[in-house]
Amino acid sequence: MAVGDLSFHVRKGEVMGLLGPNGAGKSTTMMMLTGYLPPSSGAATVAGIPLDDTLGIRRKIGYLPENAPSYADLDVHSHLRFIGRMHGLPAATLNDRLASVAGLCGLRDVLYRRIDELSKGYRQRVGLAASMLHDPACLILDEPTTGLDPNQIIEVRQLIRRIGEHKTVLLSSHVLSEVQAACDRIMIIDQGRLRALGTPAELAGQMRGGAVLRLRLKGDAEAVSRRLQAMLPEVSIRPAGADQADVLILQHADPEAPLAESAFRAAVEAESVILEMVPEAATLEDVFRRMTGGQA
Amino acid sequence: MKRVLAIAWKEWRQTIDTPMGYVVGVAFLLASGFFFGNTLFLVGQADMQSFFHVLPMLFMFFIPALTMRLLAEERHSGTFELLATLPVRQVEIVAGKYLAVLLQLMLMLALTLVYPASLSLLGNVDGGAVAAAYAGALLLAGTYAAICLFASSLTRNAVVAYVLGFGMLLFFFLIGQASPEFSSAMQDWLTLVNPVSRYQSMLRGVLSLGDVVFMLMLALAFAGLTTFQLERRKWS
Repeated sequence: MAVGDLSFHVRKGEVMGLLGPNGAGKSTTMMMLTGYLPPSSGAATVAGIPLDDTLGIRRKIGYLPENAPSYADLDVHSHLRFIGRMHGLPAATLNDRLASVAGLCGLRDVLYRRIDELSKGYRQRVGLAASMLHDPACLILDEPTTGLDPNQIIEVRQLIRRIGEHKTVLLSSHVLSEVQAACDRIMIIDQGRLRALGTPAELAGQMRGGAVLRLRLKGDAEAVSRRLQAMLPEVSIRPAGADQADVLILQHADPEAPLAESAFRAAVEAESVILEMVPEAATLEDVFRRMTGGQA
Repeated sequence: MKRVLAIAWKEWRQTIDTPMGYVVGVAFLLASGFFFGNTLFLVGQADMQSFFHVLPMLFMFFIPALTMRLLAEERHSGTFELLATLPVRQVEIVAGKYLAVLLQLMLMLALTLVYPASLSLLGNVDGGAVAAAYAGALLLAGTYAAICLFASSLTRNAVVAYVLGFGMLLFFFLIGQASPEFSSAMQDWLTLVNPVSRYQSMLRGVLSLGDVVFMLMLALAFAGLTTFQLERRKWS
């Protein structure tokens, strides 16, 4: 089973990020919401329509499947026209909408190019344009920024932000910075289960239960960490990286723990010098790694 | 209906924007022209019989080529997910695609009308018989297209879809060829269920309602199976 025991609510006019490692069940969740894959049990409503009425849901949503599949043999204009006609848009409306989404997604210059001649970034934008052509109340975007270069990622993110001002958006990603930048709220799922749900600030706050200190030493880092461990048995000490043996990350579950004092005294006892001592705020990345079973 | 037409239009665009449609069309005309010209110039007989007799075999090679990518390619390239999440019923998808092949087949058959037209310059052509034969050819082609569309729904690979479609048509062709070997009761029964023998009776200029209904039912059955195959994906 790819997804189980997953329950959430996306508010109207909100950008919700669905975050999880590869294979967490993000795409499966989205396929179920779009009616492409019926769930074996459970219920959901999309824009107030129950999942049984898949045709009704499909009228209301715009869906960008993973990797933004489009008809590669067609040009951008024909492809979008086809999508619009499938949504039953009358010809005049279709032309207006087509011009407006082409402008919004930056497709004006490639409108009459065959899709298989376009770069991955443009194809992604074609998919995005197709998903919002019929002005849906709700957009479901599966990894909208994969395959884009950094500039395009920022463009698409801004585009999603702009769309999110008026519409409900559910987007998935395994890139943290992306959801952090584009979403009002984030849910983290792993192995098909909900691990955390909240605004980016709330999730980062959940981590602030403990204290984290970054320490750069000159001298015997080994001796310092031994003495520190003796002073504060609950502290966890690890080097910041394999090539950074002189930088230690100290972590303690109690935010009030005297990490800085102990580190100072331990360094004095070990006759080492502290070059740098930085208290670290937990990032969303820590939450993500903790929630999804990676190492904290 | 608007959506059926939209899908047919899309398929048509994909056919005329890629070399595939032209290659198959031209190859079909060359092959059929060869059999027509063969009797006309080498045998010196000015009739359409050999052309119409060889059509089932030509269809067997060319129709799977026209239909093979219709559904297999959609699944392979992921566009099926796009298509299936548009507000369209599976049966409309099948109908649109079927309509597109049907139009293409009509065009291909229409282009062969130059053969009877040139014959009529040389002598008398039995217009009624030719018209009945063309109607039969179109019915047969339509039935074959439905069978091959079903083949395309069974796989994600267009080449496999071609082979499957070809195999199913070959089956009909072979039982037609082998029927003299069977007992007469078996023969009667095989003639009844084989679209090729139904077609051959139309070539004799007899357009019976039974034959027409049989072909239409067979085409409809395979279109239904195709729709079922698309729906089935949801439960597996």
